This record gives sequence, C-alpha cells and structure tokens, in this order.
Amino acid sequence: MKELTVTVRRFDPDADKEPRLVTYTVKVSEGARVLNVLHAIHDSIDPTLSYRYSCASGQCGSCAVRVNGEPVLACMEEAKDRITIEPLNLDVKKDLVTDLVPRLEQIASLMPKKETVLPKKADIDAMKPLKDCIECLCCVSVCPAVDVTKFLGPTAMRQEMRLVLDPRDSGDRISDAVRDGLFTCTTCQACWKVCPKEIETPAKAIEKLRAHANRRGLTLPRHKEVAAMVQETGRSIPRTSESFLEKVPAVIEPEGPVKATVGLFIGCVYNLRQQQSALDAMEVLKRNGIRVIIPKEQVCCGSPLIRTGQLAYIDELKRRNIETFRSRNIDTVLTMCAGCGTTLKHDYQTPFTVIDINELLTKYGIEPPARLPIKATYHDPCHLLRGQGIRDQPRELIRQVVDLVEMPSICCGSGGGVRAGNPDEAAALGKKRGGEIRKTGAEIVITSCPFCEFHIAGHTDKPVKNIMTVLLEGYREKDKKKVKS
Amino acid sequence: MLADEIVDSHVLVIGSGGAGVRAAIEASQYGKTVLISKTIVGKGGCTTMAEGGFNAVLREQDTCGGHYEDTLKGGAYLNDPELVNILTQEAPLRMGDLVKWGAVFDFTDADEVAQRPFGGQRFPRTCYAGDRTGHEMMMTLVDRLAATDVVALQEYTVIDLLKDGSSVIGAIALDEKGKIVLMKADSTILATGGGTKVYDISTNSSSGTGDGYAMGFRAGAELIDMEMVQFHPTGAVFPYDARGRLVTEAVRGEGGVLKNINGERFMSTYDPARMELSTRDVVARAIATEILKERGTANGGVYLDVTHLPREQIESRLPVMLEQFLKFGVDIRTTPMEVAPTAHHIMGGLRITPGCRTTLSGLFACGEVSGGVHGANRLGGNALAETQVFGKRAGEAAGKAPVRQKTVDERQVDAWQRRLDGFLAGGTNPAQVRKKLQLAMWQGAGIFRTASALEETLRTIKQLQTVNIKATSARNLAECCIVQNMCLTASLICRSALLRTESRGAHVRTDVTQTHDAEHSPFNHTFISQVRDGIETREVKA
Repeated sequence: MKELTVTVRRFDPDADKEPRLVTYTVKVSEGARVLNVLHAIHDSIDPTLSYRYSCASGQCGSCAVRVNGEPVLACMEEAKDRITIEPLNLDVKKDLVTDLVPRLEQIASLMPKKETVLPKKADIDAMKPLKDCIECLCCVSVCPAVDVTKFLGPTAMRQEMRLVLDPRDSGDRISDAVRDGLFTCTTCQACWKVCPKEIETPAKAIEKLRAHANRRGLTLPRHKEVAAMVQETGRSIPRTSESFLEKVPAVIEPEGPVKATVGLFIGCVYNLRQQQSALDAMEVLKRNGIRVIIPKEQVCCGSPLIRTGQLAYIDELKRRNIETFRSRNIDTVLTMCAGCGTTLKHDYQTPFTVIDINELLTKYGIEPPARLPIKATYHDPCHLLRGQGIRDQPRELIRQVVDLVEMPSICCGSGGGVRAGNPDEAAALGKKRGGEIRKTGAEIVITSCPFCEFHIAGHTDKPVKNIMTVLLEGYREKDKKKVKS
Repeated sequence: MLADEIVDSHVLVIGSGGAGVRAAIEASQYGKTVLISKTIVGKGGCTTMAEGGFNAVLREQDTCGGHYEDTLKGGAYLNDPELVNILTQEAPLRMGDLVKWGAVFDFTDADEVAQRPFGGQRFPRTCYAGDRTGHEMMMTLVDRLAATDVVALQEYTVIDLLKDGSSVIGAIALDEKGKIVLMKADSTILATGGGTKVYDISTNSSSGTGDGYAMGFRAGAELIDMEMVQFHPTGAVFPYDARGRLVTEAVRGEGGVLKNINGERFMSTYDPARMELSTRDVVARAIATEILKERGTANGGVYLDVTHLPREQIESRLPVMLEQFLKFGVDIRTTPMEVAPTAHHIMGGLRITPGCRTTLSGLFACGEVSGGVHGANRLGGNALAETQVFGKRAGEAAGKAPVRQKTVDERQVDAWQRRLDGFLAGGTNPAQVRKKLQLAMWQGAGIFRTASALEETLRTIKQLQTVNIKATSARNLAECCIVQNMCLTASLICRSALLRTESRGAHVRTDVTQTHDAEHSPFNHTFISQVRDGIETREVKA
C-alpha cells in the first residue's frame, strides 16, 4: 500500500455556487489507477463524491476525467501523488460526472437500406479503424471549435465517415456532416492526441469527409479559390511584392564552419507574406553553421488543399516538390512553417529527411544570444506541437533569450481552412487566445508558424514575433554590447 | 404515500446490456416501451466488455445439432434442453439481425463472417469483432434502439419490483438524486445481467451486482441453479486493483498456451485431448490446482503465452488485450501474461419458459439473470448469443402480453420509503459491508466448496444483512439498496450450493464423494424461492 495526496474538483449544483478544489490523502495499492483513488475517497472518506464508471477496463468510456488538465480514462491511468482530478470540459452534473447523454444522442446512427446489403471484407477493413471509439467524449471536451461554433465534434464526424464507408447505410452522410460543422474543424489534432483509442479523426475522418464533400461540389467557395490559385500559380496566396525566393541567393553559406547542410522548403506564407520572419531565420542559421540550399522552383506543399479535402492536384505538387530536392541530392529538408512540416512529414513519402527549424537548431546547438529583459509567452502551433510532437525544442531556444511564461496549448483558429472559410469562428478562437495571452502578463508573444503569427497578431495588442526574430534580436543585442566594450 | 412521478408503459425493460436493449427493440413494435438503466445505455453492463465472441452456426459443415450437443456436454447436462435447442436454432438469425443493422464483425477473405475456435466446441463457430465483440454488438444495438420510439431512462436505479397481488406490474426506481419514481407496466422484463461482483475477484462491470436475482426472489419468483457460478480461467493477477480483469478466451482460441512456473503445458495432465481449449470449468480448476500446488508465479498466477504467435495476429485479433497489458507494462507480443481464475458468470437465475416467462405473472427475464440455458458451465461465446436470442423472445412475448388493469400497492411503496429513510439515519458505510461480503464469498463459495465453508459464509452474510448501513445523502440510497441485493444474491448462491451435494460443471464439492459422472447424475436443477427450495431428481440413463 502507498499513500497518495490528490486534489479533486467538487461541485454540487444544489449546494455550491462555484466548483471547489478539495484535497484528500488516501491509501491505495501499488499500481493503482485514478479510478481506484476515487473509490478510496468514496469508500473511506467521503461517500458523496460522485464519479461515473462501469467496466473499469477501458472499454465503456464512462470514466473519462482530466488529470492535471489532460483527459484520460480514470480506469486506465496510473494514479500519481499530487495530481489534480477534474471533470472533462463538458457540462458538469455533479463533481466528476458530466452530462454525456445529450452529446451521445447527437452521434448519427446507421439507417439500414430497405434491401439487405452485406458488406465486403474490404468495407469491414476500411471501417474497423473508426470503430474502436468508446464514446468517452474526451475528444469533444478538448475541441476548440465545439466551444465557439455549431459543431457536433470529432467523434460525430468519425461516425459520419464510418457510415460513409458502410454499404448498408442509407443516409446522406456528407450533407449531414457539412450541416453538423465539417468545415469548422481547424485540424488542430487535439482530439486524437487525447483519444484513449488513438483514432486519428482529423486525417481519417474530417479530411476524408471533406474530400467526399469536394467530389459533391460542397467545398466552401473560399477554399475553392485557394485551390484555383495553387493550380494556377503554384502558391496558395497572391504575390503582392518580391517573394522571399526571389530575394535570397540559391545557397546561403554560414559565417563559421559548416555544421550541416539542408535544403530549405519555405512554404507560401513565409515566401509571400511573413517574409521578414524567414529572412531573420536565415540570419540565425548563418550564424549557427547551417548551410542552406534554396531551390527556387519549389511550390506549395498542398496543405491548404489536403486539409480542405481538395485532392485533385496534390500528386502533382508532391511530385514537383520531391523532384526539386531529390535532383539536388539533398538529404535533409528544413521546414520553418509548422503546416508545411507536418504535411511533408505525414502526407508525403519523401526520399529525404524532413526537419523543423526548432529541431535543427536544438540538435546542433546555438551560439548563446544576449538575454533580453522581456517576459514572453509562447503559442504552440498545432501542427508543430501535435502535428510533429515538437514541444520542448522551441522552449529550449526561447529560454536562452527571454523569460518564458506558459499558457495552455490551444488552437488560435487559423488552421484547417477555417480562417478563410469560417472567419467568425477563427476570430472567436483568436479572441480567446488574446484572452489567454493577457492572463500571462507577457510583453510579447512568440510562435513558430506563419499562420499563427499572422492570425494572433489580429487578436492581441502585444507584438507577435517569430522565434527566429527573437533569437536574432538577442544576437543583435549581443553584438551591440560587444561593440560598446 | 405515492411517489410524485409515475411512468406508465406497456413494456418495462430493466437493464441496458445486450439482452435488455434487444428486448426493448423488439417490444417497441407492440406498444410503449420504457428501458430503464442504472448506467448510460451502451456503456453499462457486461455485454460491452465481452471480448471473445458470439456462437452461431453459419457454415454448411457445422450443424445446430452439433452446437446443441457441445452446449449440453459443456453444461454437464444440466441445461434445459428446450432452451438450448432454441439458442442454437436462433443464434444464426440474431447474428443476421446484427449484421443487417450495421455490426462490423470480422470477415474472411471470402466475404463471410469470420469464426474462431472457442473452448468445448467441435467447430470454430465463434463470430467476433477482434476482441471487442460485445462492444461492437452494443454499438449496433444502441444505433438500432435510437431508430425506435423506446423511452430510455438512464442512470435510474430500480430497487424493487412492484406487485399487484401475485402479479408484477412494474418497478420502483430511484433517480440519480435518490427520488422515488414508480414505473407501471403491463409486462416487466428483467434483463439486469449477472452478479459476480459479490466475489472479491470478478470480471464484471459495476452493474454486476446481482440486483435482478435479488429483486426477482423478493417478488416471489423461483430461481434455479444459483450455485452454478462460472470462474473464468484467465483473469489478470496484477497490479492488485486490476485483479480479475478478463483476459479473453480468444487468447487461447488464437493459439495461446498455458504454462506453470516450470514451463510445463499443464493442461496435458487435465484434458490432453482439448488442452487449453477445454471447457472453462476444467481449465479454471486446472489453473487453481497448479497455483494451490505451488507451481504458480510469484504473483499468484500461471503463464498464458502468445509470444509464439505472429505479431500481426496479436495486433489485429487481440488489440484490446495488447493495449490493456501495455498499460500495465507488459507487452504480450514478447512477454507471457500472468493469469488466474476470476468470477465471471452466473449460469443460474430466474426459471424461464421458452417465451422467457418467469414463475411470476407479468414478469419476464432474459440474458444472464435467467437460468437454464447454460446448465452447470457456460461455453464461451454462448452468452452473447443468449442475450440476442432470448432478448428478442422476451421482448416479443412481453409485447404481445395483454394490457392490464394495475393497482399500485401503497403499502409496498410506503415500506420502501421507510426503508430508505432508515438508510439516511443509518451508521455504517455500505462499502464496508460490500468488501466483507466479497472476501467471504471468495473464500467460502469459490471454485472448491465444502458444506462447512458454505454454512460459515451464509452466517457471515446473515450478519452483514443486519448491519445498519448508511446513505450519507439521498444520492447514496441506491448504493445501500445494491449492497443489500448483493447480500441476498450471495445467500442464494450459498444456499443452492448446499442443496447440490455433487460436483458438476463449475460446482465442485470437495466434501462429497460421488461415483456418477455428469451424464449419469441423478440430479437436475436446484430451485429456490421464498416458499420452497430443493433439488430436482431425474431418471438416470443406463
């Protein structure tokens, strides 16, 4: 037996105005799960603690709670000392019990066709990955879109896709999905990162449904415009002035000895809109021994099309981009756009390694910049944090130059075609981000994605800076001091 | 005093597992149907946890007669033959319903429902969806339920059956805040599932507390073979709190082997012909014996090994097992599991007719709460089939039953109100009673039994039944009712186990020496009700 002290959020709507945090110390066995801690509190300290469970073996989805803010199944998550246990971010009925039924009832049901149709093995195999869902609603509880717009949430979309794949179903699932918010998903990946069954809903359901919608002519007009532009110009945003690729040489040699050589995949937004961030990055790379080859014929990675289900032109984009780097025998391609990085890593099969700039710089180490007397917060780009699993590297870089205050990692609203297709939703999410930024008391916001950079700047009065820009400012400060001394 | 809230229906279904939901779907064709559930429909009960499969004769090379014989032999010839005949004849039809309604069972390359071998069967007739078969069934049934006009009352706890004279006319329930709700119905279906939560080590969900047996008994119904408790051979042994968690028979169906601490495949001593795929009673006793003879592991189990199987087979056919064990730090692709028997299923239950009528007018039963289908030992894969075959039958029979005049007996409701008030004024946390009961049952009414241990356990239960348990708030009233139901169900198991002075199937009396084998047993069902108890005898075959 061992002793654990845990904090539980309690709330009785009949007695409490506000939820309250109560700390308990209980004795549990080695290997106890969070559920066993709740049992121990209920059985030996306070029988009025309400929580829901049934199978206690990860199969029924009744017992999902948040542990230290992260949704988990209480029956499967090992209990640790000093954890905080809270209900999922859904309507709370009492203590840890949330109101699941209304949301479960919104999930579509199969409506069999009149004539008996049987699935084939291929249909079964296609559906199976979407059938592991235990409807615990962890995904819904973390979905940023559900909070600000009419969206039934990730698992409802998963179910629509499962029904699309089922020859027995008679429903019009594509129209239903569009009605229920298919185009409100920012593809932030939060849903499947908390899914106990690891069902990859954004790629396996949302993007697939959007592709079906595309074939049915249901793609949003703004998304179609983007696709037309990519097909016409190779770029997803218009050229209004000289592009980054036009400004820079074909090879940028570092100042000192060469630590590594990479090919740069710049991406549309850095190429045409957030150019200064990209130029700042080149200075940082130059200073840190990275030789950068910049092929000029590269085009859009296709992310804005893949995320919105417009796949007709994708293979051509992939072919051109892969050929661009392969023809130069480049074995490592550097991305600094989170969206391009996740697309090259997951949607492409590349003959080269793809590395994000934060990974690259922490891998080879950087010359220490001067410390700037600034308090900064960091916004995790969804396609960097959840798309590529890059969490610590940007923080490691940031902490070398400024003081970092954390805020929760939530989508800013700019992804998945939402900024173009659902501007009200994107603005609502941006506003929430603005609120979080204010709460931190930070003087600047740092991020590492051109979409986030641009979108957040519209929703906060603090300067939003690329991580490379901040590093460069640190180097300039260092140089200034050197000149003085 | 009558409760403020009265819910009227033609058919009331109590329980939302596979049997209850199937019954409600069927009954809804005949009149207003209300499904009442202690949990959220689709999440509670044991069906959704069932991993291995659903037995149904689907291939030309297989026969319903073969399924019938396997079931009787596996059940030590205690099964009600007519119920078994119905099970084997109708399981393929009910499987067909599920497939038509959208169930995603595994298919073969020939686009047919795939089947795997399970214990005690001459033909691989267990249909499956990986090792989450029950979950797939439940999802399909809940989908279908949503297309009916069944009213679902979720997270309501039924605490007693309502009686009008000798007839059942509905139920008394508590809502989640502990307020009494009266449910009136022309027909009431008990589909409350099993009750092995009365044991310290059990595979059951939180709802496996035996409430249906207890409520049926209190209402005056007769129960049969309550001593027949299946101990599943393979439950997890560590960590402590995960003890008893089901390790599906599909592991052995896929080729898993059992070994003791010396690496010996010990099943060759107990059943050399069928080895690991012997019936559950035999395998459970074999494992228990190995552990008793100190050939078990330090954690008190034996090894169940699939490391010789291809990784892809484990990943695709046993994904839930793989995931669960990984969560506890064991990769079953490279490391043997450790397992020991765990209380799993109650074969006994309310005596039913082929139309699922109990001995009480107005009361029907289906699924695990009923008795007779599985005899003295259930074959793996027959429980899911039972839920669908008898769920449909109960729903249909209850639906077709006539509309009746029903008068609620105020004295019954008043008595309950007083009992509930008593809980609010009580003194002992019901969790203490529950834990003592579970330990006593595990020690005194487990795999190996004697009259003296059973009597001792009964004395403990009687004492626990007199404890003045406390409901800290009205929301805790249901827990008090459930703990009392657990005590009552446990007492029925012990009393029935004393009545059966032979070893048969899952019931082993080490204090009895017998010369007959199961096929030649002079005994038939044990029976127990408020007015009589005993054991039926039968003519012994030559």
